[in-house]
Amino acid sequence: MLAYIQNIIVLFSINAILALTLNFIMGYAGIFSLAHAIFFGVGAYTAAYMALNVTDSLLICMLAAMVVSALLSVVLALPALRVRGEYFVAASLGLQIIGVTIFSEWKSVTGGLGGMIGIPPPVLFGYTFSSTGQFVGLSLAVLLGVLVILALLVRGSFGRSLMAIRDSESAAQAYGKYVNAVKTLSVAVSAGLAALAGGLYAFYMSFVNVEAFTLNMSILLMAMVIIGGTGTLLGPIVGAAIVMALPAALTYLPFIPSSELGTIQQIIYGLAMVILMMFRPGGLVGGRGKEKSA
Amino acid sequence: MSAATQATNLLEIRGLNKNFGGLQAISDVNLDLKSGIITTLVGPNGAGKTTLFNLITGHLKPTSGTISWLGESLLNMAPWRIARKGIGRTFQDLRLFNHMTVQENIMTVMERGSWLWQRNAIDRDRVEQILQETGLESKRNERAVDLAYAERKFLSMARLMAAQSRLWLLDEPASGLDPRSFERFVSLLKSYAARGVTICIIEHNLDIVIQLSDTVAFLDQGRLLAQGSSQEILKDPHLAAIYFGER
Repeated sequence: MLAYIQNIIVLFSINAILALTLNFIMGYAGIFSLAHAIFFGVGAYTAAYMALNVTDSLLICMLAAMVVSALLSVVLALPALRVRGEYFVAASLGLQIIGVTIFSEWKSVTGGLGGMIGIPPPVLFGYTFSSTGQFVGLSLAVLLGVLVILALLVRGSFGRSLMAIRDSESAAQAYGKYVNAVKTLSVAVSAGLAALAGGLYAFYMSFVNVEAFTLNMSILLMAMVIIGGTGTLLGPIVGAAIVMALPAALTYLPFIPSSELGTIQQIIYGLAMVILMMFRPGGLVGGRGKEKSA
Repeated sequence: MSAATQATNLLEIRGLNKNFGGLQAISDVNLDLKSGIITTLVGPNGAGKTTLFNLITGHLKPTSGTISWLGESLLNMAPWRIARKGIGRTFQDLRLFNHMTVQENIMTVMERGSWLWQRNAIDRDRVEQILQETGLESKRNERAVDLAYAERKFLSMARLMAAQSRLWLLDEPASGLDPRSFERFVSLLKSYAARGVTICIIEHNLDIVIQLSDTVAFLDQGRLLAQGSSQEILKDPHLAAIYFGER
């Protein structure tokens, strides 16, 4: 039972980091990306590659994952950010599809569909993280670090610039905001921090393959953000907890046959989204509606 | 000589044209906005007044012609760069930062040059002064989207005040204001003009035109038909006929 709870905590932390970093661009900058799982994947593959071929140092592997993911996001964002709103959603969907194809086809680096196996446990200042219990501490520490970094950013001038751009890009420009630079930087920060979740995932599972980084994952992350509350710091964490806890909670309901769990889970997700958007468009934590009621 | 002719040019527009496909929205416009002078742009709907603002602020690129600010060309300059030169504007549809509070709307404009690693020291006294001058002190923590219409108009002005621009381009700033708010608005504008801010207003309200204008420019179908004092322009029967759609 303890191992089960520890496993849930590690996976929750990873998902919460991803939801927080997606919310950073989605909730604060108004950039709706369907490609967040790609940066999760880039982080995971980079950390795995480094651990298998270069060093098992946690710091170096994580740093490499962040740098590669952030740089890649800038390269992808520069052309994609020229389009706004629903057009960016479509562009990000394209990026997601390209990313998954590369993950599954670039066999010499990613291992193709089979993925990368036997990733060694990471070492930090001589301390090796090998048990689930150790990963609980590590993942919660990384989650806390990401939360602090994002809190500092969104509560400062950078966060206000992001929100101004989200609310009116043309007005933000008219008041001196270098919109493209701010948006690109926000995407790089988001992708870089999402790569930390990728690194954690790779080390924890000691295995990565493309299945964890598909469009389904990107949509699930978006669901976490929306359910919890876009544009809030706590919302994505609550959203991640609810989305993660739901499958576990359903298993305790005796009247649901185990063979139908997956289907019922999907229906509940769908219903939750519809009801939330109708009655609490700001999400569970966001509370306030996005527009003034008539 | 009048003050309007003595003052130095902040902004010079020469031979400006803007075509949208086959539509000539701005046609060979020459206009000077002089330091400390309040210029009002009048004309019927579709005359090209807002297009002219969009060309000055870089939101649109001219087809031909020049726009220069203190002698420096603004052509091909991004809107955010033009804003940082000291040209501020409001929008007809306000475009407030709706989900930010009143105070955040003001603060973010004051932090225009900030990066991740820069800590902008906000001038709190200035924020308070702007809130006081616009009558928004008690609304500081309310979201822009939750404000009443007149308050939203004043917040639009508050952002401009926070930007510390030398030239204000105001697009129908007084439309829809109740009489009390209108009086406050006029006195606010007068006080900033007295402090040396150059103002160019698009306005249909003739009270504003008469009360505030040092000079009035009349546009119709993209052309600058006349420029002069409000008395000269408003008394011209030909312009009046165009303005009221009787030509």
